[in-house]
Amino acid sequence: MEGEQRRPLVRFDGEDLGHGEHIVLPHLSLALYAGERVALLGQSGAGKSTLLGELRARLGRQVAWCPQHHGLVPQLAVYHNVFMGRLPEHSALTNLWNLVRPLRRSWREVTALCDELALAGLMRRPVGELSGGQRQRVAIARALYQARPLFLGDEPVASVDPHQALRLLELIDARHVTSVIALHQRELALTHFDRVWGLRDGRLVIDARADQLTLAELDALYPDADRSDPSPPPDDSAETLPNVDALPCARGRP
Amino acid sequence: MSDGLTKRHGELAPSWWHGGSPGLRLARHTLGLVALAVLLVPFADLAIHTRDPWGELGRMLAGLAWPAWGALTSPLSALGLTVAVALWGTLAGVVLGFPLALMFTRSRLVRAGCAFVRAIHELFWALLFLQVFGLSALTALAALAIPYAGIFAKVYAEILEQTPRAPRDALPPGSGRLARFAYAELPLAWAQLTAYTRYRFECGLRASVLLGFVGLPTLGFHLETAFREGRYHEAGALLWLFYLLIASLPWWGHKRLIPLLLLGGAWLLGPWPSVDGGLLWRFVSEDIWPAALLAGDWAGFVAWLARIPALGPAIGNTLLLGLLGTVGALAVALVLWPLASRHVGNRGTRLAGHGVLIFLRSTPELMLAFVFLLLLGPSLLPAWLALALHNGALIAFLVARHADAITPGMPGLPASGRLAYELLPRVYPGLLALLYYRAEVILRETAILGMLGIATLGFYIEEGFDYLMFDVAFFLLLVTAALNIAVDALSRHFRPREAPIDDPCVR
Repeated sequence: MEGEQRRPLVRFDGEDLGHGEHIVLPHLSLALYAGERVALLGQSGAGKSTLLGELRARLGRQVAWCPQHHGLVPQLAVYHNVFMGRLPEHSALTNLWNLVRPLRRSWREVTALCDELALAGLMRRPVGELSGGQRQRVAIARALYQARPLFLGDEPVASVDPHQALRLLELIDARHVTSVIALHQRELALTHFDRVWGLRDGRLVIDARADQLTLAELDALYPDADRSDPSPPPDDSAETLPNVDALPCARGRP
Repeated sequence: MSDGLTKRHGELAPSWWHGGSPGLRLARHTLGLVALAVLLVPFADLAIHTRDPWGELGRMLAGLAWPAWGALTSPLSALGLTVAVALWGTLAGVVLGFPLALMFTRSRLVRAGCAFVRAIHELFWALLFLQVFGLSALTALAALAIPYAGIFAKVYAEILEQTPRAPRDALPPGSGRLARFAYAELPLAWAQLTAYTRYRFECGLRASVLLGFVGLPTLGFHLETAFREGRYHEAGALLWLFYLLIASLPWWGHKRLIPLLLLGGAWLLGPWPSVDGGLLWRFVSEDIWPAALLAGDWAGFVAWLARIPALGPAIGNTLLLGLLGTVGALAVALVLWPLASRHVGNRGTRLAGHGVLIFLRSTPELMLAFVFLLLLGPSLLPAWLALALHNGALIAFLVARHADAITPGMPGLPASGRLAYELLPRVYPGLLALLYYRAEVILRETAILGMLGIATLGFYIEEGFDYLMFDVAFFLLLVTAALNIAVDALSRHFRPREAPIDDPCVR
């Protein structure tokens, strides 16, 4: 079934990826095939976000995008944040009107989606008032609402418990043919994905089918994990610098 | 032995002078500023021209203590007009400034234009428009709206630029510029934009009062008349009215009441003057330019320049007063901030400290300078006192707020030790940065204080308008604007980098 003759969606052939002059992933070679579910593993700073960003840029409108730290607008309601997934499909005026009064069809669609993600009843709540796990699900809802064949997620299940993480991944799988998801849960990577890409210090050290890998091999991606964490140095720089919030204007500030 | 001592001493001094730690750098910085001010003080006219300043002060304080409420004629209409001008002026500033803010980062022309209109004080704009629109609401509104448009453009642009990029980057491709702005930029900046607009409205309220000094019938007009004629009990009542207006702003300035206030204000602002287009055009195209320049007669233009009275001394006085005011504000802020901080004194002293700060920072500089002028006579001294006290109190208030957010690491230190070791090292960079932000404001105020008879640029600008020498007045306005822009650039350059202040409301 894994036919070698299939055309890849994207292929990197010894390419240097990075931001402008600064190269994060030198000489990268890999390919992404349609229908594959890929887990992207690696320490923070290994280059996961750079790789996902590049995939997003190359795949363009096929991609449902769920960025790191969500990229939500805390002041807007859950409904509007999810709606943002389909901004390009409406005219500018419709989009503006939707801020004043939700479009009836979109409201129905988003309600259905939020019900599935256990966000029912929160549609009118500003995202800033939600818990970390709820925000995570709003970010996923926005990506699902885009209704694209390919899901790219930068740690979309980082701040939820393992049980919920599994449920969310199943939801993502049910709605997308292909997915590349950065995560830290190694067990999930083995049980729930077809393929694992492992990044370490800007190099792709693992590119293999998940059923041919062991946990021990994945542990090699995290060299510092078993070493006891030295306690971080006390951070007093934050105190010596004047806090901007401590200098509010005379009056009228909320 | 003594040789060794002097040698060691000789090494100590340079290490103190050349040390690179932030504390030493700021100390040198401050000492340099103070030394410059001390060097230049002999050039300033600080004489006291009145005979009995203390007696006069006593009579004024008595007026403030026993205000004559009954003597006020139509205080409500003056109050209403003050609020209406501030409200509509600010609104017009927002309407003009917001589109400019969207172009601000892309267009050099917009940036330069905004810097220019910002650099001229509201009262100077009022003097200019007075010539065309007369004593009307149009003059008042334009005087507020035009400089505020420049300020809003700059500050709004900065706020919008500082909104987090993540939500914008998360949007699907092809979302459209307008939708991106409405969904992923405006909501993030909204709270800050409205907070700043509110703050600017407060400034507008003070400016609206001051417009009375050029003859518009706002609160300031009645205040000036009462003070000038020595009716201090009536002036006291008017001052109390002003403080009540500022203090009760959170209640009457509630956002649900704003539309009502706007409607009521519009009714108060009338009647509108009929604008003669031809006259306006003549003013803009001919009256404010030197005739020689319009004729292309360069020799005549040079002769015209040479005839401008006391240009050099006026610029010198303006800059000197700006410097003295800045250093004075530093001294006042250093003395006053501990009074309002929770780390020093008891509840009684704190309450008194807060009271003094609120009193000093809500009274406009021009108002303070006017009162000191009556006390001390026309020299730089009253202006210096007013600038130092008002701006020092403003900075002290912000620094005290900053200090209150600090938890001392060593509890149980005596107050002096806590001040010197725990608090001052932490708040001083912020204090100095605030001072540099204020330096530009102080210079702008300095020019305006000339209208009271102090020999800064404002004095000659008002004289120019009084004698219908519009070309001279306009030229001096341009000089003032150039000075402001130059000092703004200079203070930006020298401002300590240790304390970035992102909150636009402190400017």
